[in-house]
Amino acid sequence: MADLNEANRLQQETALQKLLRRPEIGSFVVMIIIIVALAIASDGKAFNPLGLKNNIAIIAQYGIIATGAAVLMIAGEFDLSIGSMIGFAGMSMAMMLKWGLPFGLGEATPAAAFFITLAMTLGIGWVIGMIVVRSGLSSFIVTLAFLFFLRGVTEVCFRLINQSTQISGLQDFKLESWFADIMGGEVFGWFYDFWFALGGNLNRNGEQWVHGFDARFFWWIVIVCVAYFVLSRTQIGNWIYATGDNKEAARANGVPVDKVKVGLFMFTAFCATMFAACQVYDTNTSDAAKGNLMELFAIAIAVVGGTLMTGGFGSVLGVVFGAITVGLVANAVFFIPAIDGAWFRVFLGGILLAAVFANERIRKRITGGI
Amino acid sequence: MAEPYLRVENLVKRFGPFTALGGVDLEVFPGEVHCLLGDNGAGKSTLIKTLAGVHQPTEGKIYIEGKPVTFRSPRDASAAGIGTVYQDLALNPLMSVTRNFFMGRELTGPLGSLRMNEMNQIAHDEMLKIGIDFSDPTQAVGTMSGGQRQTLAIARAIYFGAKVLILDEPTSALGQRQQMGVLKTVKRVRARGDIAIIFITHNEIHSRLVGDRYTFLALGKSIGAGTAAEIGDKEMRRLMSGGAEMGDLKAELDAI
Ligand SMILES: Nc1ncnc2c1ncn2[C@@H]1O[C@H](COP(=O)(O)OP(=O)(O)OP(=O)(O)O)[C@@H](O)[C@H]1O
Ligand SMILES: [Mg+2]
Repeated sequence: MADLNEANRLQQETALQKLLRRPEIGSFVVMIIIIVALAIASDGKAFNPLGLKNNIAIIAQYGIIATGAAVLMIAGEFDLSIGSMIGFAGMSMAMMLKWGLPFGLGEATPAAAFFITLAMTLGIGWVIGMIVVRSGLSSFIVTLAFLFFLRGVTEVCFRLINQSTQISGLQDFKLESWFADIMGGEVFGWFYDFWFALGGNLNRNGEQWVHGFDARFFWWIVIVCVAYFVLSRTQIGNWIYATGDNKEAARANGVPVDKVKVGLFMFTAFCATMFAACQVYDTNTSDAAKGNLMELFAIAIAVVGGTLMTGGFGSVLGVVFGAITVGLVANAVFFIPAIDGAWFRVFLGGILLAAVFANERIRKRITGGI
Repeated sequence: MAEPYLRVENLVKRFGPFTALGGVDLEVFPGEVHCLLGDNGAGKSTLIKTLAGVHQPTEGKIYIEGKPVTFRSPRDASAAGIGTVYQDLALNPLMSVTRNFFMGRELTGPLGSLRMNEMNQIAHDEMLKIGIDFSDPTQAVGTMSGGQRQTLAIARAIYFGAKVLILDEPTSALGQRQQMGVLKTVKRVRARGDIAIIFITHNEIHSRLVGDRYTFLALGKSIGAGTAAEIGDKEMRRLMSGGAEMGDLKAELDAI
């Protein structure tokens, strides 16, 4: 009886058991299944040089906004304005590129258009955050209001200034502006060069086929790495988890929960702006419907990646797996023409539901069943 | 007689039209356990939340070592040496022992990164000092027992320099054995001699076991105070039930 203490009540786990208990394990397994299934069903086309590039393009798009949505969800809040923010940011940049800086201040460079837009979107993110923390209203309803508000503002601005809700036929800024190139150009060319050197990556004429990934791949990696580091290794990360888990406990211990939340609403606005910038400088177009429904995809991917709806728990790595899974399935129709594209939404609904149940089990296990 | 570390004078706290505290005085001395007793809703939690900087007093003064202080936030109060263990413990169940231990006061290195190994070691050692050996500081708090959580919260408060340790009903949700564990922890902290303890409880026996000094609250007012020697058992029972005579209460019960 004397040597009975807490220490030896905890069963020692093997490395494998520890691995299987990680929160990302579910999304990881689903991702592997999808990758294998898609490779087989598309006859390898999904992962040939062009297939890989196109898949990564959409995965990175999803991944950028899902990371923002997930970190905010870990702090216990939602942002339904992400999609409208993408539309607004895209409009703002394209408009400046076409019609010049506001107040007749002359031509806009791609960098100026981006940073002025970023200042506005961060400002809107700040306003959303302040409304949420000051009023104590649910972020669901506050950001729903901004979903409508921003989409409306985007359309009105388009019609007033541009007479049309689309901008196309802008010059290709990538050719002369390094800034446009790092947003909309190509990256990791060495990967495809290497593939070519190995004797693959050939087009019909036997020349090198694909030359690089879309730049958003790079930005996704940057955002994921920063989010991962901050969340799991820093003081601010501890504050984010604490804020989402039990806000009052965090506050009582001196965690600045309001600042954390406002900061994260600004972070989702930043992610939406990066999404828009990569799109605008890649295609040199914009229209008022851009980013439609993206807030819901972002939240769905965050949940599929193991983020709890109730906050306090989640993993950036899981969201990476979630983005890969959802991105691949969204694109699958291009590689397997026989299937109806609407199956994507059927699938997404299915795994979303499964993920919610799986996450709930994880939460119960961690909290000992409450 | 020694100087009180913390003194409260005529503290009033109103929530809108509702007076939760109607002018309370309190003195706590280092190395002593000061029991705060009173019925549900008497204002005990409100009083300590005001001391902890969660609420700002409507009127009245708080003195630390004789000097008047105002706390605008829990951070101010904890910087002044007031460590609070709330009724709900202010713990995050999904987070690890270490992350809870250092919540809001993390040890950081370059770029705000956490010194995780060091933090794990400290959390383990500090909890061992006051009585529990916790093998895995990365375990989530949600899986700990009530007594262990209580110990974690107390160890945390002491480690971060609490000179006044406020315990809000630390034994209320626990089984017999764990209650005794918490009382032992309280005794160990008291024996250090440099920490003043404010101990809130509804349990007469517990307050007798550890208390040096008592203050009784009823409906937001102090209805009696004194040292353990001054307050007899009968008097104590009368004051704990808000000033009503036990005989009266018995008569009321019998009438049903
Ligand atoms: N934030 C608040 N706003 C309004 N009223 C409050 C607030 N906090 C406490 N009260 C009221 O103040 C009174 C005293 O509450 P308090 O929590 O201090 O009681 P207590 O003595 O701790 O009771 P218990 O023994 O049940 O814990 C109660 O009537 C409560 O409803
Ligand atoms: Mg109370």
